[in-house]
Amino acid sequence: MKYRITHTTLYNYSQTVDLCQSEARLQPRDFWRQQCQSTLFEILPAPIDFHERIDYFGNHVAYFAVQQAHTQLIVTAISEVTIFPEQHTFDLFSQLSWEQARSQLQETPMQGHSQSQQGQSQIQDLSLDMLDARQYVIDSPMVTTADELGSYAQVSFLPNRPLLEVVRDLMQRIYKDFTYDPTFTTIATPLSDVLSHRRGVCQDFAHLAIACLRAYGIAARYVSGYVETRPEPGKPRTVGADASHAWFAVYIPGIGWLDFDPTNNTVPLDQHITLAWGRDYADVTPLKGIAFGGGQHTLSVSVDVLKLE
Amino acid sequence: MPDANSPANDIGTQYYAMQLGIYDEMYATENKALPYWERFMAALEAMGSEKLELRRREAQRLLRENGVTYNVYGDSQKLTRPWRLDPVPLLISSKEWQVIEEGLKQRAELLNLIFKDIYGEQSLLKKGLLPGELIFGHEGFLHPCVGALQNQQRQLIIYSANLARGPNGRMWVLDDRTQAPSGSGYALENRTVMTRVLSDIFRETHVQRLSGFFKALRKGLADIAPHNKEDPRIVVLTPGPLNETYFEHAYLASYLGYTLVQGGDLTVRDGHVWLKSLEGLQPVDVILRRVDDSFCDPLELRSGSRLGVAGLLEAVRRGNVAIANPLGSSILENPGLLAFLPRLTRHFLNQELKLSSVATWWCGQRRERDFVLQNLDSLVIKPINRSQVNHALFGGMLSSNEKEQLRSQILAKPHLFIGQEQVSFSTLPAFIDNHIEPRNAVLRNFVVASGDDYVVMPGGLTRVARQKDNFIVSNQAGGISKDTWVLASEPEKPVSLWTQPVRNQLIEAVIEPLTSRAADHLFWVGRHIERVEATAQLFRTVLLKFRETLEFKDPVDNDCLAVLLRTLTQVTGTYPGFVKNDAHQLKTPQTELLALAKDSQRSGSLTANIQALVQSAFSIRDFWSHDTWRSVDNIQRRWHQRVINYDCNIDQLQSSLDELITSIVAFTGLTSESMTREAAWLMLDSGRRLERALTLIALLRSTLALRYEHALQSQVLEAVLVSTDSLTIYQRRYRSYIQLPMVLELLLLDESHPRSLTYQLYQLSANIGALPRTRSKSHLSEEECLILKAYTDVRLVNVLKLTQVNENAGIYSDLESVLSNTADLLWRLAEVIAQTYFSHSQTSQLMMIKVSEDEL
Repeated sequence: MKYRITHTTLYNYSQTVDLCQSEARLQPRDFWRQQCQSTLFEILPAPIDFHERIDYFGNHVAYFAVQQAHTQLIVTAISEVTIFPEQHTFDLFSQLSWEQARSQLQETPMQGHSQSQQGQSQIQDLSLDMLDARQYVIDSPMVTTADELGSYAQVSFLPNRPLLEVVRDLMQRIYKDFTYDPTFTTIATPLSDVLSHRRGVCQDFAHLAIACLRAYGIAARYVSGYVETRPEPGKPRTVGADASHAWFAVYIPGIGWLDFDPTNNTVPLDQHITLAWGRDYADVTPLKGIAFGGGQHTLSVSVDVLKLE
Repeated sequence: MPDANSPANDIGTQYYAMQLGIYDEMYATENKALPYWERFMAALEAMGSEKLELRRREAQRLLRENGVTYNVYGDSQKLTRPWRLDPVPLLISSKEWQVIEEGLKQRAELLNLIFKDIYGEQSLLKKGLLPGELIFGHEGFLHPCVGALQNQQRQLIIYSANLARGPNGRMWVLDDRTQAPSGSGYALENRTVMTRVLSDIFRETHVQRLSGFFKALRKGLADIAPHNKEDPRIVVLTPGPLNETYFEHAYLASYLGYTLVQGGDLTVRDGHVWLKSLEGLQPVDVILRRVDDSFCDPLELRSGSRLGVAGLLEAVRRGNVAIANPLGSSILENPGLLAFLPRLTRHFLNQELKLSSVATWWCGQRRERDFVLQNLDSLVIKPINRSQVNHALFGGMLSSNEKEQLRSQILAKPHLFIGQEQVSFSTLPAFIDNHIEPRNAVLRNFVVASGDDYVVMPGGLTRVARQKDNFIVSNQAGGISKDTWVLASEPEKPVSLWTQPVRNQLIEAVIEPLTSRAADHLFWVGRHIERVEATAQLFRTVLLKFRETLEFKDPVDNDCLAVLLRTLTQVTGTYPGFVKNDAHQLKTPQTELLALAKDSQRSGSLTANIQALVQSAFSIRDFWSHDTWRSVDNIQRRWHQRVINYDCNIDQLQSSLDELITSIVAFTGLTSESMTREAAWLMLDSGRRLERALTLIALLRSTLALRYEHALQSQVLEAVLVSTDSLTIYQRRYRSYIQLPMVLELLLLDESHPRSLTYQLYQLSANIGALPRTRSKSHLSEEECLILKAYTDVRLVNVLKLTQVNENAGIYSDLESVLSNTADLLWRLAEVIAQTYFSHSQTSQLMMIKVSEDEL
């Protein structure tokens, strides 16, 4: 499956901006399920300073600074991505219970490994994976576990239940219990409000699921990206009507990270394109910036996900 | 035998009541005071408590006059608290100091290696020498900083540790400070004051000097400049005057010769850091940071921060600026690390830890957690993140409910808590209420990476609790500080930071650029000081007239008083005031007058203007010499003592106003005698000239521009001359009755008279012409046009024409129109100056999607 994604952000200012520095996480990352062939940035006015790097979580980041006076800024990223849907399906039959997963994450697994001679590199790699996963168990800036979240999750965490079943159950419950309502939340809405009103958008549902899993010692991370929307049969595709999307991934010891989309109650396969992942939204904000001056600003975003083949 | 009843001799060692079971610095483990303490105490005893108290007060006076303060958070008045200094220092023998010094160096080295590893390879985590949750769970671990450390000999440049002595006589480290350690400037100031108030004893005791440390600091900071720059520009980044240790930031900046900046003074362009100055953008190479690291870059770190510089971390990453300490260093303040230091010392240095930490159990490990939970009663429980509200909980002091709550908090997120042994620290003699008493003490030390080694300040900041038996020692809780004397085996020569035994040579002077923010404050200091002076002068004239009305009962006096009262309202802009023409109020103006003097909430009142003046001056504390700052302090303090905190009446106000005017003249005299005629002076003086011109115009418009009958006019003219300090000059110059044309000539046109309007305009024009700016030969800038027009218009005035008037008109309309035109030009000039030179005031905003864009 191959896609071309065009993501455009437009800022309009009521007064001149003299200097603006931004960070974009708009270039899809490569991993087993996906490969990004190309990303092209079109920024107007053209930034004098443009630098790309890989961040702590392995995401592509573009730093750019517009150093001339402007009243409008347009940032467009165009990427071509291939998705490989066939892999890893058998992993969905993993029988590892959530308690086993938790205790594996809690152990200090690295000690003594330096003595082992045989298969050292493989153990080392697995341990590094585990070490990496452990930072997704504890609280992060936007996801703090609390008793109420634990209580909500409790129904899913039946004793000795395989972790995969737990996660699928949790995903399903969130899908059923919560109403999708873009008017209710902003990125600053705390999880406790989302939980008590049973309303929110994809970011909230992803954060909620992550918090529930972390409350039980399971590693979960936030994934930002896009999902292809298919027009209703007989209707033409509307260009630019797609949107950014977000879901979560869970670490299954011995297997790795698996994605789950609570907004659509699906396991992402060939319609989800991953941009970046981190502990929560704050780590992977697609575009943020600091502008000097500018007065009031308005912002509009358009996303187009086009299936190429 | 000293007489026990004589108050003069009651501070000897024999009156010192030690607490049982507690180690005391003076006695150590002996029954007798240590010899060096004995000598010191004998000298104190010879002096006697009365004299010592006088010296203590002298020290307080010096500290206050030098503006040494410590801001207390949550103080509604936003007042600064004076720094308290106990004249009895902590004495440390050279032998013991060696042990401490070695221990601190080892610890600095160790923390440096841990720091490098956490933000580099993370081999400690990979090898399991440090648990991941300990690092990942701490707010000081800043993901964006991983991989951002630059290639320099040491990463941890400045290190500070709080030490205290346990009951066994050994020094313990209570905590490590690696973020932006404060206190070295206070230690230096304490020493400066001590050498003055206890100079005799200080001379006889051979005490190690502190200046070597600051030399090392200067070298250490210059060493880390990127690209091996020869003469790097170093700035001190402060959160601003509201920060608790702002005094120290300003003090260190001026002592070390660096520019003091706030985040808004810096900008990142082309991946480099620049200082916004009156001369344009100037490159910055090294930042001595006093802003917490997460606040330093709103783009990559805490996005709501207004204290940092957007893009700073990117500039660091590209190796274009060095920061001491580097961003991310607060991870080392994680108290959970204390539990792992012995093991890491062996790992990195193959040594044992020389200075032990207070016994610490990190609850992220099962065994340690269980131990802490079983021993809650005897331990101190702390969250690893300092920002959390409950900083330290003494298990034994909690109710059973609170204990249960704490227990479940620990069980829920064990990696966020530590348990620490409760240690009773040693006591040392403190001079409290004329007595020498034992007090628990904490010593803060300072270490800097310089050259190939870490250099330790021989001394430090000792703090004692105010109350007995209180071992929570902190500045926020109102502790008292002490100097720390590390004894030398031989007398030391004082070394100045600025003298070096080099060849006789002439070095090119460096003119530090003036930041736009400082320029703004200087301009406003000038405006406020003039505003205060003009108001005080007019006020005095009003009070004089008021007394005359009471004394002579002359109706003309009453009319004149009414004119002056209305003028006071107009000049100070405190409407409605006396302008509402309330006959009763004009007869008994006392209440309104006192309000105009005292009411800090009323804008335009003297108190409000004084506060604004002091605030502006404090914001650029590093610009003022000791004497100048003392004059600012005097203005504020005396006004507070005599007028605000005192139920003063109208009669007493008169003498307070006299005093106020004298203090203002002291300030203006000191600045004009001690400031070089560079941008800073030009800004200060322009503010003064502009304000003086504007207040003079306001005064003339509400007095001389109006027509009065002859007797009243004479009185008003005289009052105007008095209020502009020009009566004597008039009498000497004209030797005649006071008449309008001559008064106008003197106050409007006399270019040699420093109170006249043309004088102000001429000076303003000269100042503006001298300000740095990109110049064009062919046309004038807007501010040059404005001042040229104002000056020329006034110069072209014909006094006799101004005083011609139509029979029935109530005002001199030509005079009024000249004055109002000039005022308009000057107001516009103030705006243009602000736009051209103070552009830092532009605010930044975060651009991010606020409402969810998701529409699935």
